[in-house]
Amino acid sequence: MSSQKKRNFQIEAFKHRVVVDPKYAEKTWKILEHAIHEIYNHNASGLSFEELYRNAYNMVLHKFGEKLYSGLVSTMTSHLKEIAVSIEASQGALFLEELDRKWTEHNKALQMIRDILMYMDRTFIPSTHKTPVHELGLNLWRDNIVHSIKIQMRLKDRLLELVQRERGSEVINRGLMRNVVKMLMDLGSLVYQEEFEKPFLVVSADFYRGESQQFIESCDCGDYLKKAEKRLNEEIERVSHYLDARSEVKITNVVEKEMIESQMTRLVHMENSGLVNMLMDDKYDDLGRMYHLFRRVPNGLSLIRDVMTTHIRETGKQLVTDPERLKDPVDFVQHLLDEKDKHDKIIHLSFNNDKMFQNSLNSSFEHFINLNTRSPEFISLFVDDKLRKGLKGVSEEDVETILDKVMMLFRYLQEKDVFEKYYKQHLAKRLLSNKSVSEDAERSLILKLKTECGYQFTSKLEGMFTDMKTSDDTMQGFYAAVGHELGDGPTLGVHVLTTGSWPTQLTTTCNLPPEILTVCDKFKTYYLGTHNGRRLSWQTNMGSADIKATFNKGQKHELNVSTYQMCVLMLFNNGDGLSYTEIEQATGIPTVDLKRCLQSLACAKGKNVLRKEPMSKDIGEDDTFFFNDKFTSKFYKVKIGTVVAQKESEPEKQETRQRVEEDRKPQIEAAIVRIMKARRVLDHNNIVAEVTKQLQSRFLPNPVVIKKRIESLIEREFLERDKDDRKLYRYLA
Amino acid sequence: MPRVSKRKSDPVKSSEPATKKITKEVERIDSFFASYANTSLGMIDPEGVEKLCSDLSVEHTDVRVLMLAWKMNAKKQGYFTQDEWRTGLKSLHADTLKKLKKQLPELQKEVAMKENFEDFYCFSFCYCLTEDKQKNLDIETACVLLNLVLGRAYNLQVDSFIEYLKFQKEYKVINMDQWTNFYRFCQEIEFPDLKNYDDCLAWPIILDNFVDWLREKSTSA
Repeated sequence: MSSQKKRNFQIEAFKHRVVVDPKYAEKTWKILEHAIHEIYNHNASGLSFEELYRNAYNMVLHKFGEKLYSGLVSTMTSHLKEIAVSIEASQGALFLEELDRKWTEHNKALQMIRDILMYMDRTFIPSTHKTPVHELGLNLWRDNIVHSIKIQMRLKDRLLELVQRERGSEVINRGLMRNVVKMLMDLGSLVYQEEFEKPFLVVSADFYRGESQQFIESCDCGDYLKKAEKRLNEEIERVSHYLDARSEVKITNVVEKEMIESQMTRLVHMENSGLVNMLMDDKYDDLGRMYHLFRRVPNGLSLIRDVMTTHIRETGKQLVTDPERLKDPVDFVQHLLDEKDKHDKIIHLSFNNDKMFQNSLNSSFEHFINLNTRSPEFISLFVDDKLRKGLKGVSEEDVETILDKVMMLFRYLQEKDVFEKYYKQHLAKRLLSNKSVSEDAERSLILKLKTECGYQFTSKLEGMFTDMKTSDDTMQGFYAAVGHELGDGPTLGVHVLTTGSWPTQLTTTCNLPPEILTVCDKFKTYYLGTHNGRRLSWQTNMGSADIKATFNKGQKHELNVSTYQMCVLMLFNNGDGLSYTEIEQATGIPTVDLKRCLQSLACAKGKNVLRKEPMSKDIGEDDTFFFNDKFTSKFYKVKIGTVVAQKESEPEKQETRQRVEEDRKPQIEAAIVRIMKARRVLDHNNIVAEVTKQLQSRFLPNPVVIKKRIESLIEREFLERDKDDRKLYRYLA
Repeated sequence: MPRVSKRKSDPVKSSEPATKKITKEVERIDSFFASYANTSLGMIDPEGVEKLCSDLSVEHTDVRVLMLAWKMNAKKQGYFTQDEWRTGLKSLHADTLKKLKKQLPELQKEVAMKENFEDFYCFSFCYCLTEDKQKNLDIETACVLLNLVLGRAYNLQVDSFIEYLKFQKEYKVINMDQWTNFYRFCQEIEFPDLKNYDDCLAWPIILDNFVDWLREKSTSA
């Protein structure tokens, strides 16, 4: 720069260099070009930023922006070409390092250049719509380095090679990878995708396809899943360390597709280690892993769910149709509960409490429990067992837990009315023989049934409890009023049962011993005296008695027996060696009951207070019975009663089922009438559907039975068929 | 006021010959009735009916007797009251045996007309309910009646159904509902392929069972 000689203060007109000077632009450009060279040669320290800036500023101002710009482009390009050569020359591992280093330098240079040319960046470039300096620098790098023929392929291969090595458990220079990948990202997502991501995904897909094939041949299901999970995690970690975050979902999709989706059917059905085996062996970890992996792919979870459902239905079906299992109802139900618990646990621990799985489990249980028509009876027997002795000494909380589990099974039943019938029968026996472990537990269960099914379901059951309480009061009243008259006679305990609340029993004949009859009559008189207009009939098949017996050697025992048994035994006070026929005539007890009664008195080990000739197991009509003098027992009190709830025999079961069917008819008819009254006119299919819906909380009505009931109602002129439309029925008011 | 007398005179004047004609007809019908009636009962009894049938040269089990009963709207099987007789024969315009005999084919045609046949069909069922408050017809009688009434028009269906009724054990009697529906069945359902029978519709169960039985027979045959 020419220095001005110091003079007297003379102010001259400001003469700026006129555009006219053609050499001006060239000169200025040369300065700047030189500066760029220096910058690229790491000699930037000798430059004056301010001067360079001003030069660039002037060029733009004097309308030489175009020259500046094109000069920049060509200068940078030539530098980059040199750089490309040096990168191409580097060998092996140094290739990436060199690239990385040169890139860093270029960026630094670019920044400086951009600062110098900022004025152009802000004014000339926007107005001419040219690429800004920084972006230009990146584009030039891309075009001259990354897209250079010798570099492009090598770069791609090298990057992929390193990834593969890392997959092979080699340690690689992640920092370097990160830098190079970031370089591609900085050059634009298109560059990143074309130069790296796309080929990366393709190679990865091939790799994992191969690996999945290899693993599936050599591993069992659990191991395979572990390996797949490991690979998945590796890829996620890889992305977080040196790839673009948006690649994560793409690479995980690849792994999911190749390693999980393509093999999932085979995995689930793998022999000895597949899903079914895992379920059976409670392999919580493996199952959890499977759940989380399969969740990632379409239809993964539904595959697991379907296989699980089929398996549960199968095992369930086997359970309910296995004759061995069905021998002991309590055991049977316990198994059901165990199965449910087992699968609940699996869903909780491994399947993330997934609601759809829970639903599948429930529907499977509902399906197979109802395959066995005796399920309602067995569940009632289970409850009976628990309420008799199973809940003894169990804490209140645990009692509730068990009862809740019972309720859960109850909900699965389609024939809830059958359960109700049996429950009533068993409850009656429990109450009358005073065998209930805890009245609180009984009440609690009834409350749960009421909540589930409504007041109707439990009103009669509650009536039974009321009768028991009322009877206690009645007995107190009886003894207070008549006690003095009874003297030494037997002590009587009476439960007065309201017909209708208790299970229907046919009154049977039985000739009570005279001393019993007397006191019974006294009670009857007393009761009918205080309750006008009622009728009492003795239910001799449901009673029990405590009698004292003296055996040989003066041994005394107190025997707890049923009423029938008492009648039989009392006969032996007046005679011995009684034939079956004599006993039958004297007691008037019906044959089946009498045989069962005699069997329990004469053929049961440890309880044979009678002796039978011949000593066969069964009671024959020619048998003779003797008082067994030689009877011994460890205990003073011996229980021989037979009033225990047990699994029904085949004919009894048929009878109960028939009664249930009979009870259902009026219920179905009531439903039909209700529906038709509201709708007036309705077609057949809709009636069937509506009736089924209305009754589903109690039982599943058979469509044929519904049709029969409709016909019966037509005959009784509650309904009529529509004269014109074949399908319709009409309500007749 | 004066009108009354005018009115009184008119009918006498204008319809005298007509009433004469009517009364003549009624007389003949009544005497026709009397020739078969049981005098102590005041109506024609089964014996009289038999005689009538032989005079008409029809079997007393012939369907035309049933048609006659329908025309008369007779209430009790085997008996015709005077009113019923009058009603029937008047509408047939038959006041002598000869005329009645001649009218029988006309009667048959009339019954066969669409609007009358269903009525006749239902009537025949009710007519056979001889006991007081009887609502159902035993299978035997029902089969005979079906043959009589529908045998000619739908003989395939009738033969099949009769065979089925005798074979099945579930129903011992047929009620009105089942009776009427069988006729609809004959009218609506293609026989014997039964293609358009849908047991989800409101057919009585006895017909559902009948169709099942037929289908089973055809597959095993």
